[in-house]
Amino acid sequence: MSSGGAYRERRSPSGRFLPPDPRVREPYRLTPQLALRVGILGAIALLAFAILFFRLWSLQVLSGEQYLDAAQNNQLRLIRVEAPRGPILDRRGRVIVANVAGTAVQLWVGDMPKNRKARDAMVRRLASVLRVPPLALAQEVDQGRSDPLTPITVKTAVGEDPVNYLYEHQAEFPGVEIVQIYLRDYEHEALAAPILGYVGEISPEELRRLRREGYRAGDRLGKTGIEAAYDSYLRGRGGLAQIRVDSLGRPQSPLLLRQEARAGYALRLTIDTKLQRAAENALRYGIDLAHQDGHWAADGGAIVALDPRDGAVLAMASSPTYKPSVYVGKVDPKKLEPLIDEEAARRANYPGLNRATSGLYPPGSTWKPVTALAGMQEHIFSPYQSLQCSPVAYYGLDRQKFRNWNPYVNRSMTLVEALAESCDTYFDEIGNRFYESGTEGRILMQQWARRFGFGTTTGLDIGGEAEGLLPTPDWRRRTFESDWDRAWNPGDSIQLAIGQKDLLVTPLQMTAFYAMLANGGNLVTPYLVSDVEQPGGKGSPRVVLRRFAPRPPRSAGVDSGALAAVRDGLYVATHSRSGTSSGVFGSYAVPISGKTGTAEKVVPLPGYPSDHLEDQSWWCGWGPSSDARIVVCALIENGGHGSTAAAPAALRVFERFFGVEAPPSILVSVD
Amino acid sequence: MIEAAERSRVRARAGRAASEPVAFLRRFDWVLLAAAFGLIGYGLWVVAGITRFDVPGDEGYYVVRQAIAAGLGLAALVVAAFVPLDLAQRRWRLLYGATLGLMVVVYAAAETVRGSKRWIDVGVIQFQPSELGKVLFVLAIAGFLVERAGRVTRWRTIGTALGLGAAPILLVFLQPDLGTALVYSAALLAVLFFAGVRWRQLVALVLVTGFAILASVWILPAAGVQVLKPYQAARLTLDPNADPSGLTYNLNQSITAVGSGGLSGRGVIEASQTRLDYLPEHATDFAFASLAEQRGFVGSSILLLLYLLVVWRGLRVVTVAGDLYGAVVAGGLVFAFLFQVFVNVGMTMGVAPVTGIPLPFVAVGGTSIVSNLFLIGILQGIHARGLLAGRSGP
Repeated sequence: MSSGGAYRERRSPSGRFLPPDPRVREPYRLTPQLALRVGILGAIALLAFAILFFRLWSLQVLSGEQYLDAAQNNQLRLIRVEAPRGPILDRRGRVIVANVAGTAVQLWVGDMPKNRKARDAMVRRLASVLRVPPLALAQEVDQGRSDPLTPITVKTAVGEDPVNYLYEHQAEFPGVEIVQIYLRDYEHEALAAPILGYVGEISPEELRRLRREGYRAGDRLGKTGIEAAYDSYLRGRGGLAQIRVDSLGRPQSPLLLRQEARAGYALRLTIDTKLQRAAENALRYGIDLAHQDGHWAADGGAIVALDPRDGAVLAMASSPTYKPSVYVGKVDPKKLEPLIDEEAARRANYPGLNRATSGLYPPGSTWKPVTALAGMQEHIFSPYQSLQCSPVAYYGLDRQKFRNWNPYVNRSMTLVEALAESCDTYFDEIGNRFYESGTEGRILMQQWARRFGFGTTTGLDIGGEAEGLLPTPDWRRRTFESDWDRAWNPGDSIQLAIGQKDLLVTPLQMTAFYAMLANGGNLVTPYLVSDVEQPGGKGSPRVVLRRFAPRPPRSAGVDSGALAAVRDGLYVATHSRSGTSSGVFGSYAVPISGKTGTAEKVVPLPGYPSDHLEDQSWWCGWGPSSDARIVVCALIENGGHGSTAAAPAALRVFERFFGVEAPPSILVSVD
Repeated sequence: MIEAAERSRVRARAGRAASEPVAFLRRFDWVLLAAAFGLIGYGLWVVAGITRFDVPGDEGYYVVRQAIAAGLGLAALVVAAFVPLDLAQRRWRLLYGATLGLMVVVYAAAETVRGSKRWIDVGVIQFQPSELGKVLFVLAIAGFLVERAGRVTRWRTIGTALGLGAAPILLVFLQPDLGTALVYSAALLAVLFFAGVRWRQLVALVLVTGFAILASVWILPAAGVQVLKPYQAARLTLDPNADPSGLTYNLNQSITAVGSGGLSGRGVIEASQTRLDYLPEHATDFAFASLAEQRGFVGSSILLLLYLLVVWRGLRVVTVAGDLYGAVVAGGLVFAFLFQVFVNVGMTMGVAPVTGIPLPFVAVGGTSIVSNLFLIGILQGIHARGLLAGRSGP
C-alpha cells in the first residue's frame, strides 16, 4: 500500500501529463479532490442541522404540550441537605456549642395558590396553626415571590401537634414543607457569647462575595467571632437529595441521596469553660462591688485571662452580653433589637460589643509599667535614684498643676515604691523629662508602647479588634483644627505617663502587655482556637486534622534589669502594707503580682455636664509571681477605684484557676 | 531559487495586505461577519434571559461580563485577520508548544470546579485554556501536515500527526474534560481530511477511533479497567433510563425544558425549568435547553440558522483560500465549530452524549466567546488573502 501511495503522490495534483519538476513548487489551486471534500462536509453539516431541526420540531411542536405539563408539575425536586455544623469544644473537650435536630416549617412561595385571595386565606390559616403573626408572614410571602428558589422559614422548633395537623391537611397547604434542620444549641446559654459569635442566614452582600467559594442563597454561616473566622471548618459540605413530588408538593418517593453531606469539623478552643464561667461571674461580682461602693453607673466591663507562656486565651468575659440563642431559628425581632438597632443598643449599653477586644478605655495607672520600662530603656531616669512623690507638682510655662491621688504622701521614692504605691507625681516627673528631651524624645515612650503592642491589634485569631489610640505630636497635628489643640504640651507627655487623656487601649492589649511582664520579656500573640478535629463518635477516637500552633513568643528587647525592677514594684504593690492592692492579694496563698488603675474617662451620663468624668476601675497582674501560669486583666466600666472593684474581681479568677480560696478581706479605696 | 521567488511573492502579498488595509478589509466575507455579529447580539439577548435570576439583586451580572468579553473578542478578531497566516504556518512548532503549555498550565494553576480542572483564575476573569487551545491546535497540526504536503498520504506522516494530536487531547481528557477532548479529536480528523489523506485511511482511522471509544466504554470496564469516570460512561451510552442514581437527571430535565418551550416559548418569567433551577448549568452547558424553553422553536431556530450561516460561509472560505494551509486551517476550524454546535445542541435534546462543551457565542464564559471571535478573524484573514491572491493571479 505504501509503495502505491508513493507512486501516485508523484503525479501532479492538477492532473497534468508532464511529470512535475521537483524544484518547482506548484502555485496553489483548489483541487477537485478538495472541492469534493468541501461538498461532502457541507452535506454532513446539512444532515447535522437537519437532525437538530427535526428533533427540535418533534420535541417542541409535536409533543410540546406533554412536556409543558411535565414542566408545570415537575415531579423531581432537588433538595439541599444541610450538613450539621461542627461543634465547638473547650480546652478539655467539653462541648460549648452543639447542634440539635429541630423541626421547621418552610413555605415554597412558587407552589402556593396563584389566586391572591386563596393565598391570603392560606397564609392566615397557616399563621394561626403555627401561632405566628399573620401580617408579618403575609409580608414575607410578598417579598418571597421575587425569589422562588429560597423557601421562607415560617417557624423553627415546631411542636408535635401543629406538625401532625399539617401532615393531615397537606392538600390544603400547597407549598408547605416540613423539614428537619440543625439548630445551634448553646448549653451554657450566654457563656462566652462574644467570642463564639453567632450564625445567621447569608446576606446578599456576603453571597456576592462568597459565591465562588460554594455558598448559596439560604445558606447559614458564621457572622461574628469564632463562628465567622472558622466558618470554613465548621460548616461542612451540604448534600443533595432528590425527591419526587406531585403537583401539590406532596412527596411521592423517599429522599434519594445524590450527594452525601459531610458534617462540619469540631473546633477546640483554648478557653476553659469553668474558668470562663468564673470570669463572667467575677465580672458581675466586680460590678456589684462598684454599686455597693456608690458607683451606680458601673454597668459593664471585661476580664481577660491569658496563658503568659504562649498567649492561649483561658477566659474572655465581656459584660453586658447576650444569649446567642436569640439568633437561632426563627428570630424574634424584639430580642434581637439591642444587637442590631443603634438606639436600642445604647439603651442596653451595647451588649453586642466584645469589650475585651474592642472596648476602648484609658488605662490609668496600669500603664505606669510602660512608662517605667520606656524611661529606663531611654535612660530618662534610674530605678534606684529617688524622685520626690509630692502631693502636687507644677509643670510647663503656665505652671500647670498636677496632683497625686494621695495628698498625704510627701517623700522621695525609688521606682519600686512608686509602682507599689502608684505615685502619680513620680511618673509626672518622668513624663516631663520625656517632654524636655526634645522633639525626638517626645515620641520615645510611644515607640516603646507600640513595640509592646499598643496602638495596633494583637493579632487574635478571631479578629474584630480595635486598635486603640497612642497619641503622638504628629497625631495631634493631623487630628485637630485649632493651633491650641494642635500643639503637644508638657501636659500631654505627663498625662500619657500616667495613662490618661487621649490614650486608649483594649483590655486584651493590656493583658498581652502584662503577659510580657509575667513571662520575662517575651511578647505573645493571643489565640483562641488550638485545633480542628474530626469529632470522635461513639467509641472512635477523635482525630486532630489541623493544629494551629501559637505564634512563637518574640523578645520585646527589654533590659532584664529594667524588667526586674518593674516586676519587683508589682510584687510589692500586692504585698507591702502600703501597696495599692495588698488589701486584696496580700494574704492570698498563691503569690500574685499586679497593678491597680483608676482612669478618668469622659462619660456622658444623664443629669451631668457633657464633660463629666467617671473612674474606670482596672487591675492587671499575674500569678504565681515568679513562675507565671496565668495573667489576668479586669476592667469595670465606671467602677471607681481599681482596688475596690477590678482587683477583687480578678482575685475570683485566680481562685478558680489555682483552686485556692482567699481569706475574706477589707477593701480600701486606693488607686 | 524559484522557491525563494515564490516566497518573496507571498511576502509581497502579505506586505500589500498591511499597506492596503482598506483593500484587505473590503475582501472580508461580510456575510460571515454579519452572521458572527448576529450571533453575538442574539447571544447576549439570550444570556440576559437565561441568567436573569441567577444572581439575586443583579439581573445583568452575566450579560455585562459577557459583553466585555465580546469587546475583547472583537479585538482578537481584528488581530487574527490581519496577522499573516503564513507566520503561523512557519511557526507551527511554537504554536504546538503553546497549546501543550496551556494544557500543562491548567494542571499547575487551575482550581478544581466540580471535580474538574478547567479554569485558571486570572484576577477578575476566569480563563479556560482548552477553548483557546482548540484554535491553536488546528493551526499547529495543519502546519505540520502542510509542511509535509507531498507525503501526507504516507502512514508515517499520518502516524506522526496522530501522535502530535494525541498529546493535547490526552491532557484535555485527563482534566477531565471529555467533551473538549472529542472536539479536539474531530478537529484533528477534519485537518487530516482536508490535508488530503486518502479515503481508505480515513475510514481506517474512524474505525480505530470508534473501537477506542467502544473499548473505553464497554470492553475495558468489563475487563476491570476503568478509563472513563462512571458518570462519563453513563452519559456516553445515551440511555436516560439506565440511571438508578440520578446521573441522567440533567438530561431528563433538559429534554423537558426544550419540549415545554413549544412553538413560541414560555418567556423568561414563566420558564420554570430555568428559573427554578430544575435545569442545572443552564447558563453554560445547557444554555440551549434554557433558550429553547424561554424562546421556543422560533427562538431556537434563529440561533441554529445563524450557526448554519457561519458553517456555510466557513466552508466557502475553504474554497476561496489562497493556499493549502489556509484551506486546511479553515476546514479544520469550521468542522470543529460544527461538531461543537451539534454535540452541545444535540446533547440538550438527547441525540448526542452529555458532555460539558460550551455552546459557541451563547454559553456564559469569556474565553469561549473570545476564542470563537478569534476563529472568525482567522477565517476572515484567509478569505481576504485568498481574494487578493486571486486578483494578482499566479
